[in-house]
Amino acid sequence: MADTLGTFEQAVMLAIVRLGNNAYGRAILNEVQVRVKRDVAAGAVHATLSRLEKKGMLASRVEAGTPVRGGRARRFYKLQPQGARALNDAWSAVDALWRGLKRPLKGSVRLRASQ
Amino acid sequence: MTVNASPPSLGELILRAFLTERDFETVSGDLLEEYRENVCATRGALRADLWYWAQVLGFAWRDAGSWAILFAAVFLARTAIDWHMPTADFHTRSAISTLAAVGIFLAAGLRAGSRSGWSAAGAIAGLATAGLALPLQFLGAGMLLVLWHDPTIVAAIRGSGGLEEVYTLPLLTVLPGILFGAIGGALGARTRPSRPSGHSLSP
Repeated sequence: MADTLGTFEQAVMLAIVRLGNNAYGRAILNEVQVRVKRDVAAGAVHATLSRLEKKGMLASRVEAGTPVRGGRARRFYKLQPQGARALNDAWSAVDALWRGLKRPLKGSVRLRASQ
Repeated sequence: MTVNASPPSLGELILRAFLTERDFETVSGDLLEEYRENVCATRGALRADLWYWAQVLGFAWRDAGSWAILFAAVFLARTAIDWHMPTADFHTRSAISTLAAVGIFLAAGLRAGSRSGWSAAGAIAGLATAGLALPLQFLGAGMLLVLWHDPTIVAAIRGSGGLEEVYTLPLLTVLPGILFGAIGGALGARTRPSRPSGHSLSP
Protein backbone atom coordinates (compact mmCIF):
# COMPACT_ATOMS: atom_id res chain seq x y z
CA MET A 1 0.00 0.00 0.00
CA ALA A 2 1.26 3.50 -0.84
CA ASP A 3 1.87 6.21 1.77
CA THR A 4 -1.25 7.36 3.56
CA LEU A 5 -2.12 10.87 2.46
CA GLY A 6 -3.35 13.57 4.82
CA THR A 7 -6.38 15.69 3.93
CA PHE A 8 -4.26 18.68 2.93
CA GLU A 9 -1.99 16.52 0.80
CA GLN A 10 -5.08 15.18 -0.98
CA ALA A 11 -6.34 18.75 -1.50
CA VAL A 12 -3.03 19.76 -3.10
CA MET A 13 -2.81 16.67 -5.31
CA LEU A 14 -6.43 16.93 -6.44
CA ALA A 15 -5.85 20.61 -7.27
CA ILE A 16 -2.98 19.48 -9.53
CA VAL A 17 -5.26 16.92 -11.21
CA ARG A 18 -7.97 19.55 -11.74
CA LEU A 19 -5.55 22.17 -13.10
CA GLY A 20 -3.96 19.78 -15.58
CA ASN A 21 -1.27 21.52 -17.63
CA ASN A 22 -1.70 24.76 -15.67
CA ALA A 23 -0.74 23.33 -12.28
CA TYR A 24 1.92 25.76 -11.04
CA GLY A 25 2.44 27.16 -7.53
CA ARG A 26 0.07 30.11 -7.49
CA ALA A 27 -2.70 28.33 -9.41
CA ILE A 28 -2.47 25.38 -7.01
CA LEU A 29 -2.65 27.74 -4.01
CA ASN A 30 -5.81 29.39 -5.36
CA GLU A 31 -7.45 26.08 -6.30
CA VAL A 32 -6.78 24.67 -2.83
CA GLN A 33 -8.22 27.82 -1.23
CA VAL A 34 -11.38 27.53 -3.29
CA ARG A 35 -11.83 23.86 -2.41
CA VAL A 36 -11.11 24.10 1.33
CA LYS A 37 -12.99 27.44 1.52
CA ARG A 38 -10.40 29.27 3.62
CA ASP A 39 -7.16 31.21 3.25
CA VAL A 40 -4.17 28.92 2.96
CA ALA A 41 -0.55 29.95 3.53
CA ALA A 42 1.64 29.72 0.44
CA GLY A 43 4.30 28.16 2.68
CA ALA A 44 1.97 25.28 3.57
CA VAL A 45 1.32 24.51 -0.11
CA HIS A 46 5.02 24.85 -0.98
CA ALA A 47 6.06 22.52 1.86
CA THR A 48 3.46 19.95 0.79
CA LEU A 49 4.51 20.11 -2.87
CA SER A 50 8.18 19.67 -1.92
CA ARG A 51 7.40 16.72 0.34
CA LEU A 52 5.23 14.96 -2.25
CA GLU A 53 7.84 15.53 -4.94
CA LYS A 54 10.55 14.02 -2.72
CA LYS A 55 8.30 10.99 -2.18
CA GLY A 56 7.98 10.57 -5.93
CA MET A 57 4.24 11.29 -6.04
CA LEU A 58 4.72 14.46 -8.07
CA ALA A 59 7.18 15.58 -10.72
CA SER A 60 7.92 19.17 -11.67
CA ARG A 61 9.37 21.19 -14.49
CA VAL A 62 10.35 24.86 -14.63
CA GLU A 63 9.12 27.18 -17.36
CA ALA A 64 9.81 30.82 -18.12
CA GLY A 65 7.88 33.43 -16.17
CA THR A 66 5.41 36.08 -17.27
CA PRO A 67 5.70 39.90 -16.97
CA VAL A 68 3.23 40.08 -14.07
CA ARG A 69 5.58 37.94 -11.99
CA GLY A 70 8.61 39.98 -12.97
CA GLY A 71 9.75 37.31 -15.43
CA ARG A 72 10.39 34.85 -12.59
CA ALA A 73 10.13 31.22 -13.57
CA ARG A 74 7.09 29.05 -12.85
CA ARG A 75 7.30 25.49 -11.53
CA PHE A 76 4.63 23.20 -12.96
CA TYR A 77 3.66 20.00 -11.18
CA LYS A 78 2.34 16.74 -12.54
CA LEU A 79 0.86 13.74 -10.76
CA GLN A 80 3.00 10.60 -10.96
CA PRO A 81 1.71 6.99 -10.95
CA GLN A 82 2.72 6.61 -7.28
CA GLY A 83 0.71 9.73 -6.44
CA ALA A 84 -2.32 8.47 -8.34
CA ARG A 85 -2.13 5.17 -6.44
CA ALA A 86 -1.94 7.03 -3.13
CA LEU A 87 -4.97 9.16 -4.04
CA ASN A 88 -6.95 6.09 -5.09
CA ASP A 89 -5.99 4.34 -1.84
CA ALA A 90 -7.09 7.39 0.15
CA TRP A 91 -10.47 7.37 -1.59
CA SER A 92 -10.86 3.61 -1.10
CA ALA A 93 -10.10 3.95 2.62
CA VAL A 94 -12.76 6.61 3.12
CA ASP A 95 -15.24 4.73 0.94
CA ALA A 96 -14.74 1.56 3.02
CA LEU A 97 -15.37 3.49 6.22
CA TRP A 98 -18.65 4.95 4.93
CA ARG A 99 -19.95 1.88 3.11
CA GLY A 100 -23.41 0.87 4.31
CA LEU A 101 -24.11 4.16 6.11
CA LYS A 102 -26.69 6.67 4.95
CA ARG A 103 -25.51 10.24 4.64
CA PRO A 104 -25.92 12.76 6.12
CA LEU A 105 -25.70 11.17 9.56
CA LYS A 106 -28.20 12.28 12.17
CA GLY A 107 -27.36 12.99 15.82
CA SER A 108 -29.40 10.00 17.01
CA VAL A 109 -27.17 7.63 15.00
CA ARG A 110 -24.10 8.92 16.82
CA LEU A 111 -25.87 8.61 20.20
CA ARG A 112 -26.83 4.98 19.58
CA ALA A 113 -23.32 4.15 18.40
CA SER A 114 -21.77 5.58 21.57
CA GLN A 115 -24.04 3.61 23.94
CA MET B 1 -4.64 43.84 -11.60
CA THR B 2 -1.80 46.07 -10.37
CA VAL B 3 1.08 45.14 -12.65
CA ASN B 4 3.62 47.56 -11.22
CA ALA B 5 2.84 47.12 -7.53
CA SER B 6 5.76 45.76 -5.55
CA PRO B 7 5.66 43.84 -2.29
CA PRO B 8 7.95 44.92 0.56
CA SER B 9 11.51 44.45 -0.70
CA LEU B 10 12.70 43.54 2.80
CA GLY B 11 10.09 40.79 2.85
CA GLU B 12 11.42 39.38 -0.42
CA LEU B 13 14.97 39.54 0.94
CA ILE B 14 14.00 37.66 4.10
CA LEU B 15 12.03 35.09 2.09
CA ARG B 16 15.22 34.18 0.25
CA ALA B 17 16.77 32.95 3.51
CA PHE B 18 14.12 30.27 3.96
CA LEU B 19 14.17 28.73 0.50
CA THR B 20 16.63 26.87 -1.65
CA GLU B 21 18.07 28.64 -4.66
CA ARG B 22 15.93 26.27 -6.73
CA ASP B 23 12.72 27.38 -5.06
CA PHE B 24 13.28 31.07 -4.42
CA GLU B 25 12.67 32.25 -7.97
CA THR B 26 9.49 30.24 -8.49
CA VAL B 27 8.01 30.83 -5.02
CA SER B 28 8.77 34.57 -4.98
CA GLY B 29 7.28 34.72 -8.49
CA ASP B 30 4.10 33.00 -7.28
CA LEU B 31 3.79 35.42 -4.37
CA LEU B 32 4.48 38.43 -6.61
CA GLU B 33 1.86 37.28 -9.13
CA GLU B 34 -0.76 36.72 -6.43
CA TYR B 35 0.15 40.03 -4.80
CA ARG B 36 -0.25 41.96 -8.04
CA GLU B 37 -3.18 40.17 -9.65
CA ASN B 38 -5.33 39.42 -6.63
CA VAL B 39 -4.32 40.73 -3.21
CA CYS B 40 -3.56 44.36 -4.14
CA ALA B 41 -6.71 44.66 -6.19
CA THR B 42 -9.03 43.21 -3.54
CA ARG B 43 -7.43 44.36 -0.28
CA GLY B 44 -5.57 47.59 -1.07
CA ALA B 45 -1.86 48.33 -0.80
CA LEU B 46 -1.47 48.31 3.00
CA ARG B 47 -3.36 45.07 3.59
CA ALA B 48 -1.61 43.54 0.60
CA ASP B 49 1.74 44.28 2.24
CA LEU B 50 0.46 42.74 5.48
CA TRP B 51 -0.59 39.67 3.49
CA TYR B 52 2.89 39.45 2.00
CA TRP B 53 4.54 39.71 5.41
CA ALA B 54 2.20 37.01 6.73
CA GLN B 55 3.32 34.71 3.90
CA VAL B 56 7.00 35.43 4.68
CA LEU B 57 6.34 34.76 8.36
CA GLY B 58 4.72 31.46 7.39
CA PHE B 59 7.84 30.39 5.50
CA ALA B 60 10.01 31.58 8.43
CA TRP B 61 7.97 29.61 10.94
CA ARG B 62 8.07 26.44 8.84
CA ASP B 63 11.83 26.70 8.59
CA ALA B 64 13.02 28.27 11.86
CA GLY B 65 10.08 27.26 14.05
CA SER B 66 11.68 24.02 15.19
CA TRP B 67 14.90 25.87 16.13
CA ALA B 68 12.82 28.48 17.97
CA ILE B 69 10.93 25.79 19.91
CA LEU B 70 14.23 24.12 20.84
CA PHE B 71 15.75 27.43 21.92
CA ALA B 72 12.68 28.31 24.00
CA ALA B 73 12.73 24.83 25.57
CA VAL B 74 16.38 25.28 26.62
CA PHE B 75 15.55 28.68 28.15
CA LEU B 76 12.49 27.37 29.99
CA ALA B 77 14.32 24.27 31.22
CA ARG B 78 17.11 26.44 32.61
CA THR B 79 14.53 28.73 34.24
CA ALA B 80 12.69 25.80 35.81
CA ILE B 81 15.94 24.30 37.13
CA ASP B 82 16.99 27.64 38.65
CA TRP B 83 13.61 27.97 40.35
CA HIS B 84 13.48 24.40 41.67
CA MET B 85 17.15 23.77 42.45
CA PRO B 86 18.56 27.05 43.73
CA THR B 87 22.32 27.35 43.76
CA ALA B 88 24.85 29.99 44.70
CA ASP B 89 27.07 29.17 41.73
CA PHE B 90 25.33 29.58 38.37
CA HIS B 91 28.55 29.24 36.39
CA THR B 92 28.07 25.65 35.17
CA ARG B 93 24.39 26.16 34.32
CA SER B 94 25.15 29.40 32.49
CA ALA B 95 27.94 27.75 30.51
CA ILE B 96 25.69 24.85 29.46
CA SER B 97 22.69 26.99 28.49
CA THR B 98 24.89 29.52 26.67
CA LEU B 99 26.64 26.77 24.71
CA ALA B 100 23.28 25.22 23.85
CA ALA B 101 21.97 28.59 22.61
CA VAL B 102 25.11 29.25 20.55
CA GLY B 103 24.86 25.75 19.08
CA ILE B 104 21.22 26.27 18.10
CA PHE B 105 21.96 29.62 16.41
CA LEU B 106 25.00 28.20 14.61
CA ALA B 107 23.02 25.18 13.42
CA ALA B 108 20.09 27.32 12.24
CA GLY B 109 22.50 29.61 10.37
CA LEU B 110 24.51 26.73 8.94
CA ARG B 111 21.38 25.09 7.56
CA ALA B 112 20.06 28.32 6.05
CA GLY B 113 23.42 29.18 4.49
CA SER B 114 23.90 25.68 3.14
CA ARG B 115 20.41 25.55 1.65
CA SER B 116 20.29 28.99 0.07
CA GLY B 117 23.98 29.38 -0.79
CA TRP B 118 23.70 32.87 0.68
CA SER B 119 25.83 33.85 3.68
CA ALA B 120 23.38 36.46 4.99
CA ALA B 121 20.67 33.78 5.21
CA GLY B 122 22.30 32.62 8.45
CA ALA B 123 21.84 36.01 10.12
CA ILE B 124 18.18 36.04 9.07
CA ALA B 125 17.70 32.48 10.34
CA GLY B 126 19.33 33.44 13.66
CA LEU B 127 17.07 36.47 13.93
CA ALA B 128 14.01 34.36 13.09
CA THR B 129 15.02 31.71 15.66
CA ALA B 130 15.44 34.26 18.46
CA GLY B 131 12.43 36.33 17.38
CA LEU B 132 10.03 33.42 17.02
CA ALA B 133 11.21 32.03 20.37
CA LEU B 134 10.30 35.28 22.19
CA PRO B 135 6.54 34.70 22.56
CA LEU B 136 7.19 31.06 23.51
CA GLN B 137 9.67 32.12 26.19
CA PHE B 138 7.43 34.85 27.60
CA LEU B 139 4.35 32.63 27.58
CA GLY B 140 6.28 29.64 28.96
CA ALA B 141 7.80 31.69 31.81
CA GLY B 142 4.33 33.01 32.64
CA MET B 143 2.95 29.47 32.74
CA LEU B 144 5.81 28.33 35.01
CA LEU B 145 4.97 31.21 37.32
CA VAL B 146 1.28 30.28 37.36
CA LEU B 147 2.18 26.67 38.19
CA TRP B 148 4.85 27.41 40.78
CA HIS B 149 4.61 30.52 42.92
CA ASP B 150 4.93 29.33 46.52
CA PRO B 151 7.29 31.29 48.84
CA THR B 152 10.20 28.86 48.27
CA ILE B 153 9.99 29.31 44.49
CA VAL B 154 9.59 33.09 44.80
CA ALA B 155 12.76 33.18 46.94
CA ALA B 156 14.57 31.05 44.33
CA ILE B 157 13.45 33.41 41.55
CA ARG B 158 14.84 36.39 43.51
CA GLY B 159 18.09 34.49 44.09
CA SER B 160 18.52 33.68 40.40
CA GLY B 161 18.21 37.22 39.09
CA GLY B 162 14.51 37.94 39.56
CA LEU B 163 11.63 38.03 37.13
CA GLU B 164 13.19 41.00 35.36
CA GLU B 165 15.97 38.73 34.12
CA VAL B 166 13.50 36.08 33.02
CA TYR B 167 11.69 38.63 30.86
CA THR B 168 14.68 40.61 29.57
CA LEU B 169 17.12 37.79 28.82
CA PRO B 170 15.14 36.55 25.76
CA LEU B 171 15.30 40.07 24.28
CA LEU B 172 19.04 40.17 24.83
CA THR B 173 19.50 36.96 22.85
CA VAL B 174 18.31 38.50 19.57
CA LEU B 175 21.64 40.16 18.77
CA PRO B 176 23.77 37.07 19.58
CA GLY B 177 21.23 35.10 17.53
CA ILE B 178 21.95 37.27 14.50
CA LEU B 179 25.71 37.12 15.11
CA PHE B 180 26.06 33.35 15.56
CA GLY B 181 23.48 32.73 12.86
CA ALA B 182 25.63 34.84 10.52
CA ILE B 183 28.72 32.80 11.40
CA GLY B 184 26.80 29.57 10.76
CA GLY B 185 25.41 30.98 7.52
CA ALA B 186 28.84 31.95 6.24
CA LEU B 187 30.16 28.46 7.04
CA GLY B 188 27.13 26.81 5.45
CA ALA B 189 27.30 28.85 2.25
CA ARG B 190 31.04 28.21 1.95
CA THR B 191 31.05 24.50 2.67
CA ARG B 192 27.90 23.37 0.92
CA PRO B 193 28.26 20.73 -1.76
CA SER B 194 27.58 21.89 -5.30
CA ARG B 195 24.06 21.04 -6.35
CA PRO B 196 22.20 21.05 -9.61
CA SER B 197 20.26 24.28 -9.91
CA GLY B 198 17.01 22.63 -11.01
CA HIS B 199 16.30 25.63 -13.19
CA SER B 200 16.44 23.87 -16.49
CA LEU B 201 13.75 25.47 -18.57
CA SER B 202 11.72 23.23 -20.75
CA PRO B 203 11.64 24.14 -24.41
